[in-house]
Amino acid sequence: MWAPQYPEGLEMKIWINTLSGDVKTISALNHYIGMKTIEVSMFPEFKYMIYLVGIMIGIGALTAIINKRWMLMIYLSTILLAGIGALIDFYLWGYDYGHNLNPEAPIKIEGMSYQPPLIGTKVLLNFTAFSGPDIGGWIFIGVGILLFALLIYEWKANKIK
Amino acid sequence: MKKHIKSALLLLVAVSAVTFYACKPQGPQAALTGDAAAKVYVAPGKYDEFYNFVSGGFNGQLSVYGIPSGRLFRIIPVFSQFAENGYGYSEESKPMLMTSHGFVPWDDLHHPALSTTNGEHDGRWAFVNANNTPRVARVNLKTFRTEEIIELPNSGGNHSSPFITENTEYVVAGTRFSVPMGDKSDVSISTYKENFKGTISFIKVDPTTGKMNINFQLKTPGVNFDLSRAGKGPSHGWFFFSCYNTEQAYTLLEVNATQKDKDFIMAVNWKKAEEYIAQGKGEKAKVNYAHNVLDESTHTATSEMLKEVLQLDPTVLKDIIYFIPCPKSPHGCDTDPTGEYIVASGKLAAIIPVFSFTKIQAAIAAKDFEGEFAGIPVIKYESALHGEVKKPGLGPLHTEFDEKGNAYTSFFVSSEIVKWNVKSLQVLDRVATYYSIGHLCVPGGPTRKPHGKYVIAYNKITKDRYLPTGPELTQSAQLYDISGDKMQLLLDFPTTGEPHYAEAIPANLIAPNSTKIYKIEDNRHPYVAKGEKETKVERKGKEVHVYMTAIRSHLTPDNIEGIKLGDVVYFHVTNLEQDWDVPHGFAVKGAANAEILIMPGETQTLKWIPDEVGVVPFYCTDFCSALHQEMQGYARVSPAGSPVPLKFSTGVVEETGSK
Amino acid sequence: MKGIYRIACVALLWSCSPDKPVNQEQLPEQESGKSAVEEVIANPTKGLGAVKSVTLKTPIELDRVNRGLAIYEMKCASCHKLTDQRVVGPGWKDITKRRQPEWIMNMITNVDVMLEKDPEAQKLLELCLMRMPNQNMSIGDARDVLEYMRQNDGEK
Repeated sequence: MWAPQYPEGLEMKIWINTLSGDVKTISALNHYIGMKTIEVSMFPEFKYMIYLVGIMIGIGALTAIINKRWMLMIYLSTILLAGIGALIDFYLWGYDYGHNLNPEAPIKIEGMSYQPPLIGTKVLLNFTAFSGPDIGGWIFIGVGILLFALLIYEWKANKIK
Repeated sequence: MKKHIKSALLLLVAVSAVTFYACKPQGPQAALTGDAAAKVYVAPGKYDEFYNFVSGGFNGQLSVYGIPSGRLFRIIPVFSQFAENGYGYSEESKPMLMTSHGFVPWDDLHHPALSTTNGEHDGRWAFVNANNTPRVARVNLKTFRTEEIIELPNSGGNHSSPFITENTEYVVAGTRFSVPMGDKSDVSISTYKENFKGTISFIKVDPTTGKMNINFQLKTPGVNFDLSRAGKGPSHGWFFFSCYNTEQAYTLLEVNATQKDKDFIMAVNWKKAEEYIAQGKGEKAKVNYAHNVLDESTHTATSEMLKEVLQLDPTVLKDIIYFIPCPKSPHGCDTDPTGEYIVASGKLAAIIPVFSFTKIQAAIAAKDFEGEFAGIPVIKYESALHGEVKKPGLGPLHTEFDEKGNAYTSFFVSSEIVKWNVKSLQVLDRVATYYSIGHLCVPGGPTRKPHGKYVIAYNKITKDRYLPTGPELTQSAQLYDISGDKMQLLLDFPTTGEPHYAEAIPANLIAPNSTKIYKIEDNRHPYVAKGEKETKVERKGKEVHVYMTAIRSHLTPDNIEGIKLGDVVYFHVTNLEQDWDVPHGFAVKGAANAEILIMPGETQTLKWIPDEVGVVPFYCTDFCSALHQEMQGYARVSPAGSPVPLKFSTGVVEETGSK
Repeated sequence: MKGIYRIACVALLWSCSPDKPVNQEQLPEQESGKSAVEEVIANPTKGLGAVKSVTLKTPIELDRVNRGLAIYEMKCASCHKLTDQRVVGPGWKDITKRRQPEWIMNMITNVDVMLEKDPEAQKLLELCLMRMPNQNMSIGDARDVLEYMRQNDGEK
């Protein structure tokens, strides 16, 4: 997030099981417009995310061991589903965070809600907010693209055979 | 082939990542155009065009800058002790800081108001407020010295102050905190609605001497008063105050005082109040407050406790005050140069309402009220409204005006200044401030004849604008050129303390009248030594009074003996110089005090309680001449009961000195 | 021919004199550099300033002496003794015999210009190493002090 008075930007990183960055500052600012305080306990996902990711790594390892195309397909689907699931989950959280405002907030602006962008940039009052994947997210995306590439390669290689 | 596809795909991942991150918006950057440097450059030896009197906030002082250069010339000590020149440490200046709570050596100075005649700057006095222990001070703009401080009884925090009427008839002081008063002062905080009251004090100003006295107080319903402006021209005779916490909350105001969609602007017909007083309608209330005055001929301040104040109750005398609904927790409440429009900046509001004085008068005449609040009539919002500035920005705080019919409003949350036309209410331009502007200042902005040319932003956050200095940073102001259609950032300049409000005034209204020296002939200080012949040391019981003179480059006497442990020594130092800019300083080793700085022709007193036997050095602290380092002396301290006689001498060995 | 030479000299001197401080128009009126130089040449002993000629009366005027004494004690005595002893500034004994009355009064009332332009005043500065301060005295004050100096030098 950037604002005229925060030229260096404010950042919140969502990890597999925790949050980091300027979470407290963001919460302090957002409470003026009635948004909730962001806390780890807001995300029940943190409790089981680590297992989900573990399972996915397991499936990946299994895929390598089984070394069959159908297994590759399954793995790719899992990754895709997980990605879509994560986005939906993040959207639902963002919707609640941006719309479910404290009616006693000091600043209330008619018709205004403050849902953070899912991916990309959005102007919210004096802040320009940006959401995007970080290293973990990029690894996932990278894995997905690699798997997809592998499938195409396999498919082409088979065809040539 | 395999390799090619693979690397192509990897590249795709990398490229998409990079392009995605390139979309991340950039932080704001200050765009400076080429000629900014020339516009703020004041060549060595040349003078600035404007004086800028800037409040020092929690340093309790008023500082003076030049505009457009942003150079700091002077810090005028007002409500806080100032070790640099001994203000609040010297015996002469200590009474200035007396209050009903005793000696209070600090305060929080928020707003200056420069005196006006016919609504235009006259360059005579600056009035400033103490926010914490409620006081108003008057600074003389000839000497740049604090000449008078008056405490405000029945006030809990003096934020809505000082604002002045067109001919400086009155300086007003509105309470920030409403408090229980008089016999009902020991009550439960939860009885706010019932027992807490606000006051607006009307301090009358003598048109020739500037001397202040509290003429009357209006007792108002318990709310918070924030800022104010007097009417001018057609609206002369009226005052407008912004009120918040009309919820009458007494705890967690952040939430509880921000619930209503509308708070109030309070319109006060002070001429009406004067009529009631003439009819004997006021009631005298018992109070206790200090009135401190500096006498320029004795160079000494005296403090007096006053016991009475005249109060008017507008819930009984109904046609003194009226409320006008105003969204939402208004801060600035500013009348435009014509006196017709009142701009209210609701700091949590998404619009800026502009009220019309003519419409307010019509609504009052037609009793166009929506009801009453705590016994005060509330005018209908629409009936008083000239119009609203739509979508101006976030967090409007304060508005000033130029000479062309434009208004400049500061926006704290969106950190910008927005220029708009008062009549058409159209937004004309906006420019970012770095960071989070509070008040702003256009030279002459609150007067009937603004001088225009610049707007100065006083920012609340400094952050990365200067080289870092640890966790605590300088405060910051920014200068913008407003002579064209587009506002243009010219200069950042650091300020001392926290700059709240400030006023700027053309230099030619002040510079020609500036005092250069105090005439030694006119010095009526009881301990003055007008010449070395009058220097002496006198014992009065346990008190030792040293009548000392300073001239380049010696102190007379400079050898003093016969001081005993248990004595209290007063050094009354008279500066015999009569030339501009030749102050002398004076300091004594181990004195639990500051130095004193003595202007030409002035006498100042340093109190010293010796705490050990020995010979104690004293010296001049202000580099005055080539022989400044020679300007020194010794005081001998003997044990209590010692037979050493009191004697003193100066310099020359042949003259034995024991007179 | 001689006249032209003198003007040339004056011009040369003028061109060497330091620039006037900017904004001098806002300072109190002082002798301009050019006329000052001319004055030195014309009256080497009268000094520079508003005092062009002084008429001294005999016997000395006692009311002036009394006022002069008061001013002396307040504004001068810190640095000038009445003997020939030099402390911060030179002692006053026989000053009225050494200097023209106009020079004394100009030194008192126009000290900054004197120290900058008058060779005799500059010699004293070299000796004492302390610029005599401007004590904000009027020409009338200076005249009173002069009368007191005359009495100090034994005039009746």
